[in-house]
Amino acid sequence: MKSNSQVLKSVISLSVFVVFVVIFYFLIGQDKTELPSQLIDRPAPVFKVSDLLQEDLIHTQEDFKGKITLLNVWASWCPSCYSEHPFWKNYAENKDIVLVGLNYRDKKQKALKFLREQGNYYDWNLFDQNGRLGIEFGVYGAPETFLIDPKGKVRYRHVGVVSPEVYQNIFLPLIDKIKKGF
Amino acid sequence: MNKSFLTKIFFLTVLLLLSTVGFAAIDIYDFDDSELAARFQKLTYELRCPKCQNQNLADSNSTLSLDLKQIVYEKLKAGESDRQILDFMKQRYGEFILFKPEMSQSNAFLWAGPVIFLVLFLIFFLRWYLNNREVNDE
Repeated sequence: MKSNSQVLKSVISLSVFVVFVVIFYFLIGQDKTELPSQLIDRPAPVFKVSDLLQEDLIHTQEDFKGKITLLNVWASWCPSCYSEHPFWKNYAENKDIVLVGLNYRDKKQKALKFLREQGNYYDWNLFDQNGRLGIEFGVYGAPETFLIDPKGKVRYRHVGVVSPEVYQNIFLPLIDKIKKGF
Repeated sequence: MNKSFLTKIFFLTVLLLLSTVGFAAIDIYDFDDSELAARFQKLTYELRCPKCQNQNLADSNSTLSLDLKQIVYEKLKAGESDRQILDFMKQRYGEFILFKPEMSQSNAFLWAGPVIFLVLFLIFFLRWYLNNREVNDE
């Protein structure tokens, strides 16, 4: 009797231990500072923002419709944006996608200087001077990149630099999936 | 008094003097209504800065926090309820932005944890108690 309850006790303590090991194992390697986007599989937020290069040109969320769009959040004050920027030249060669910049909380002169010096590979740029559009998108830092499908739905958000590896391994498969109609 | 003690006192005094700088931040959010001001304070304490994740909006001076505080301010002035403001933030930044998390599938285990442990404890205690009583009765 006594030994039976002792066996039970050790079985229970062992299983509690195993449960914790399993839980912690799955927590390892998760980047807790990276926030999941609330927009995934939801339509892009409603907005009305002027173009960076052409002030009287107003863009809305409707402009994303009908094409696959990569929306890249950048700013002249963002150091990682400078290292990310040259990659966009290569990604822009993919004619199946529209490349849109979201110039986030920047000064116009500095933003224009950035594009002059680093090259402008964007099809068009949103000028979000006060950061309110960024907040609508749940942006919490630059660079961030959103993948938007032809229905205007956000499919993916990447926080940080879109390196060629990230583009190859994450974005291209998703773009293929969207092209196949999913 | 030895020298090292005096040095310590000196540094502590300097630190104490410096710390007042922290309190001297000018409150740029101007409320005529003290009830609104109190709600502003409560909301900015309960909302997390998504950029500097261990700070709340009240304590953080990052640009994003300042923007979000400004939104809280504008929404309070416009007569929105606390619930509406928290929902606005939650819709954009997720539940993470709330310092007091709500119960959901992913954290149900944490909420249930104390109850589970209490029940387990009671079961073990009762077993131990009943076993011991039998021994004493003999």
